[in-house]
Amino acid sequence: MALAKQRRWLTFGWVIPALVLLAVFVYYPIIDNVRLSFFSWSAFSPAPEFVGLQNYKNMADDPVFWTSLKNNVAYAVVSIIFQVGIALVLAAVLEEFVWPKLRSILRSIYFIPSVISITVAGLLFSFIYNPRFGLLNRVLGAIGLESWQHSWLGEQATAIWSIIAMSQWQSIGYTTVLFCVAMQRIPTELYEAARVDGAGRIRSFFTVTVPMVREMTTLLIILTVSGAFLLFNEVMVMTAGGPADSSQVLGTWMYRNAFLADDMGYAAALATLIFALTLIFAIVQMGVARRRRVEV
Amino acid sequence: MRPRILVSALATTAVLAGLAACGAPGTSSSDKPSDVDLSSPAKKEGTLTVVTKFADPKYAPYFEQIAKDYEAANPDVTVDLQQVGDQPYKDKIRVLAASKELPDVYFSWAGDFANKFVRAGLAADLSEVLSPDTEWGKTFSPAALRAFETDGKYYGVPIDLDAKFMAYNTAIFDKVGIEAPQTLEDMIADCGKLKSDGYTPVGFGNQYGWPAIHYITQLNAYNVPAEVRDKDYNPASGEFTDPGYVTALDQFKQIADACFVDGTNGLSHEAGQAEFLNGQAGMHYLESVEFQALTKKGGAPSDIADNWSFFRLPPAADSAGDTNAITGAPDGFMVNAQSKQAALAVDFLKFMTSQENGAKMVEQLGWLSPVQGTATADNSFPQLEEALADISKADDFAIWLDTVTNADVANAYLSGVQGILDGSNDPEGVMEDVQKAAEKAKQQVD
Repeated sequence: MALAKQRRWLTFGWVIPALVLLAVFVYYPIIDNVRLSFFSWSAFSPAPEFVGLQNYKNMADDPVFWTSLKNNVAYAVVSIIFQVGIALVLAAVLEEFVWPKLRSILRSIYFIPSVISITVAGLLFSFIYNPRFGLLNRVLGAIGLESWQHSWLGEQATAIWSIIAMSQWQSIGYTTVLFCVAMQRIPTELYEAARVDGAGRIRSFFTVTVPMVREMTTLLIILTVSGAFLLFNEVMVMTAGGPADSSQVLGTWMYRNAFLADDMGYAAALATLIFALTLIFAIVQMGVARRRRVEV
Repeated sequence: MRPRILVSALATTAVLAGLAACGAPGTSSSDKPSDVDLSSPAKKEGTLTVVTKFADPKYAPYFEQIAKDYEAANPDVTVDLQQVGDQPYKDKIRVLAASKELPDVYFSWAGDFANKFVRAGLAADLSEVLSPDTEWGKTFSPAALRAFETDGKYYGVPIDLDAKFMAYNTAIFDKVGIEAPQTLEDMIADCGKLKSDGYTPVGFGNQYGWPAIHYITQLNAYNVPAEVRDKDYNPASGEFTDPGYVTALDQFKQIADACFVDGTNGLSHEAGQAEFLNGQAGMHYLESVEFQALTKKGGAPSDIADNWSFFRLPPAADSAGDTNAITGAPDGFMVNAQSKQAALAVDFLKFMTSQENGAKMVEQLGWLSPVQGTATADNSFPQLEEALADISKADDFAIWLDTVTNADVANAYLSGVQGILDGSNDPEGVMEDVQKAAEKAKQQVD
């Protein structure tokens, strides 16, 4: 009895270092960040000045904030379409129709972009998008579509979409492979039963494959959406938010306010908002995961 | 899907919070290390921390060698030299400032960037050793010292001299039959001739906004009287209501229409420079610290390296401002006001800016040194010597608009001018945004 009690305390002792680390490096900064968003301060100001909700009011009046939010939402929507929708179809095609040896080669080809560092990919696409000697404009010119040529990263209407497009290129292979793995775990009996019932391949895709990979689909939707709100590197590497702030996203706008405009309070308010948005998605994710466990 | 993004977001949150946790920097009103004789350290011993923005492998070895040489000359001193890149430096120094871990010696751009440290009491007043009438101060070009002067006190030791010039390809100019223009009107006419002969008149890329800002810096100096600019560039009194600011943006638009290709917001400055280097562009607006790229030593092809000269961006015939101001500024080093090693820091900076080390910098980096008499025919190239002569003729430096003004004003300019280039904004609209930003900056300073 005494031994068991002692062991329980001992167990607690082992956990403490991790808890302390979590508290100091994760929870304390988050809470303190919320507190800081009520102050006006910079790295140079002698003392933070309490301003209440002013930073949040400024946010509502800041046109670049709304552009950023809109860009994050656009990124999320396009990512769901490509990295979940099209990736699912691509995975099904790979698993269903492609000859096994070719399948593994194709899987690797799709997967390669996601292991390229974002800096390299950004640089690569800066060349592709270059208005003067970029591949994209050259190709458009060669097939007689001169009117479609743009300074892709240099025009306000195209900059963010060009970044989003690069991101899809980079991530679609990764989600496709995840879907492939999920599909390989579907018992073949289900497909056989469907075939006996007279279902064609497209019908089996909708009645067997889609429901059986639902777990993975939900997970990827949540990860894609929360990833979209944490977007930073892609934009920083390719446009740094320009031209004329048209490709700013919440992450880069926060960075600019914190480290270039010396408005740490406002940046903290933006950070709090990003945190709140991603927290909501995380809670949804946890809720869905729990419900799924009940189903099984 | 991308756990590293989550990690980086958490890390950013942590950094922001970490900054706060450490509290704001000291409120001490004194900016001079008390009881310290800056002119000579009592004992040359201990560790000296130095942070620069010269991590670029082209520049880093020079500063590493200076640190090594100083250690060799002073065996009891260890120089802890940290060099980071241009952009990361802006973050790093702010984090260090907020967490009261500012190094003994740190890099600074001239203008509001330096003044922020001065206002926060983080920069040591070096006047007693660095004023133009002191022994050390006399070794520098006076305009360079003035760039780091605030309220009559000298806070920064200039390390390099930089100015913006329009380089032109003399072979192309001869072929087209034009000469270096004297007025903006001439230059715009020349652009038309270059264009009709199939050349890109000016190699220009504005992906990150600052290359256009350098034009605006010069045009503001030409169109707005110096005292008005001084008042407006100070965040405490900035209004930007002088009509000269709109004129400057109008002139920039004329240059853009006549001299640039389309879509320059999507091209990097380096891409613009490449057009000049491969003989497609007749002109290219660049800093004197970049001159080396146009020489054989810097890798330029010989038909470019042997055939280029430069002129200042010419003013319009009826300019209302100072037509003899030149865009540029020295970069410099400041000494931490709270440093216990302030005297040693000054000694180190004296070593770095000695005649010998200044001459080495000219030779190895191709930069101009603010230390007088360091550029000679032996260690530089003709254009660099001419640039130095031209800089010494200038009345005043027009410091880079994006570092001399408050960051909000700078951002309004950066994004506004990109809007002018792609036609989504006009000069009046840009100035409205700048005025709003100046108003906000004023409230912050109050």
